[in-house]
Amino acid sequence: MKLAIQSLFLKIFFWFWATALATGIALVITFIFGPGRVPSRWHSSLTDTARSSGMIALAELERGGVPAASSYIESFERDTQLRACLFDLYGKPIAGRECETFADMLTRAATSRSAEFGVKYGIVRVALLLPGSGGSDYIFATELPAGPRAAFGMDTAAVVLRFGVAFSVSGFICYLLTLYLTGPILRLREAAQQLAGGMLSTRAAASIERRGDELGALGRDFNTMAARIEELISRQRQLIFDVSHELRSPLARLNVALDLARGGKAGDLPFNHMECDLARLDEMIGRLLIIARLDTAAVPLEMTSVNMTDLVGRIVDDARFEAQNRNVVVNLTTGESCHARGNAELLYSAIENVVRNAIRYAAAGTSVHVSLGPQGKSHLLLVIRDHGKGVPEADLQRIFQPFFRVAEARDRESGGAGLGLAIADRVLRIHGGTIRAENVQPSGLEIVIEIPAAELTPVS
Amino acid sequence: MDRVLIIDDDIELCELLAARMSGEGFEIEAVHDGAHGLERALSREHSMVVLDLMLPAMGGLEVLRRVREQSPIPVLILTARGEDVDRILGLEIGADDYLPKPFNPRELIARIRAVLRRTVRVGTGTHPLIAGDIRLDPGAREARLQGRLISLTSVEFALLEMLLQHAGRIVTREELTESVLGRKLGPFDRVIDVHVSNIRKKLGVSQGVERIKAIRGSGYLLVVRAETK
Repeated sequence: MKLAIQSLFLKIFFWFWATALATGIALVITFIFGPGRVPSRWHSSLTDTARSSGMIALAELERGGVPAASSYIESFERDTQLRACLFDLYGKPIAGRECETFADMLTRAATSRSAEFGVKYGIVRVALLLPGSGGSDYIFATELPAGPRAAFGMDTAAVVLRFGVAFSVSGFICYLLTLYLTGPILRLREAAQQLAGGMLSTRAAASIERRGDELGALGRDFNTMAARIEELISRQRQLIFDVSHELRSPLARLNVALDLARGGKAGDLPFNHMECDLARLDEMIGRLLIIARLDTAAVPLEMTSVNMTDLVGRIVDDARFEAQNRNVVVNLTTGESCHARGNAELLYSAIENVVRNAIRYAAAGTSVHVSLGPQGKSHLLLVIRDHGKGVPEADLQRIFQPFFRVAEARDRESGGAGLGLAIADRVLRIHGGTIRAENVQPSGLEIVIEIPAAELTPVS
Repeated sequence: MDRVLIIDDDIELCELLAARMSGEGFEIEAVHDGAHGLERALSREHSMVVLDLMLPAMGGLEVLRRVREQSPIPVLILTARGEDVDRILGLEIGADDYLPKPFNPRELIARIRAVLRRTVRVGTGTHPLIAGDIRLDPGAREARLQGRLISLTSVEFALLEMLLQHAGRIVTREELTESVLGRKLGPFDRVIDVHVSNIRKKLGVSQGVERIKAIRGSGYLLVVRAETK
């Protein structure tokens, strides 16, 4: 496995490592800077230890002056690796190096006249007042080893604080890490879902593309794939569009030539058939063009508030004539007037296709039932039910594909090119609605259309 | 014999149409490109123009725009079915009616006849129609607003005439379509509405109110106001 500098593997590795290190460092920092207190039961023994060293230093001072005291303290530091200093009563250092480290303890030691304790860098420090033989007092301050328990302290608050720091620091870093790794994956997933849902222009965000790791590569590959799919599909759609469009010129000529041939008169049977087929071809091409246009969505649709109750009513009225010829009754049930936001012309043709389809496949002497009403607060529900043969379960979804027809329905008598439901499906999808087919008992097909309702604007 | 100019780049279609329509008493002149078509349309030799919007080089809409700058000659546009934008634009620019292609030639002939009947017809009442500051003289085919001559296409003239005859009363969109365009109102047929909107633009508002009022769901009405102020 070849590891790039930016690889996810190294990222995870280093980030986890950094987490562990940061946690450790945070602990050490609290250890060093945290307020430490020396448990009181150790005070007497610590005071004794400090006092004995201090007395020796003081004795040396009184015997041989400052140099003697200094040399004692130097040897003390050398032997114990601990720092010690001798001060006069006013805090002025007499012997010892780097005595300012004790400065904070001196005044308190001088005024309280008892031993003063402190913890710095995890080491216990003691400062205490020593009476000199000449009547003057001195202060002796020293560091003392007191073991890790002294450094950590015995009080629970400090323990909780340290664990709390460890938890929050490591938790925070791990949270950032997780976010960093899973965020782009989730966004990629979202993009993939949109692409699958038909939004072919969907691409992974630029922030993912810019990444140098495996996720960035995945994002770039995803975008290449999406672009390729979009290109292929749009080329196919363009082809359908172009073919349909080009077919219209010969069709227009045929129309005129036929009319010319029959001399403007009606009647001849072969001519009537030809004219009928020409009209069918024209209708089919027109519908193909509608589908191609809806698929490419090149032109933005004019959307208005559409009174669906009116629209469905008009469709049913228009369809009743055709239904009569087939001895089929069309019933309409509507409640209060419903509105949807959309393109009235497209919605009309979509629903008309479904209703005419239902009439075409209804058994003679039966009825087609159309009902429209609100579905919850935000949707309208339109159900078109016929009493025909229904559709084999396996084909229920496929009837919305262009040119799909249930095998036994492939007779000339049924008419239509199998484009009506495909148009309805696309129109509803553009309007944010759905259409599905269900078989109903004892026989017949039910087409269920859901479409988002428009907020009712008060009629002016 | 009515001379009709056809501007369409489909040469064979033009030949067939010429043959078909000569039997109906029309004399057809066919032109296959926009620039030449424009020149011929402005020659005053024809009673009307049939214009395909899908033309190479100078497009049909451009031809129509330039024709309308100089001439009120009736124009019927041929549009590809579903090209709603072109259709609406064409009507807004001043086409009289449209027909989606491919069309039934009988339908084309009927539309041409309807348009010609309107232009040739000398107004039913030859006396001028007056409503407020609008004065329409069907005999002279003149429309005046506050005494100023305004130019209307033949469809616009017929439409305004119809509204003036029924001033203050509602005229339905069905009635307008049948009387003015000589055909039945189809579903989603917006031709009349586009023509009304064109007339409104030419008339402007009167005392801050549209002169032609749309009655939702039924039709249009020419507002008559008493000249109180």
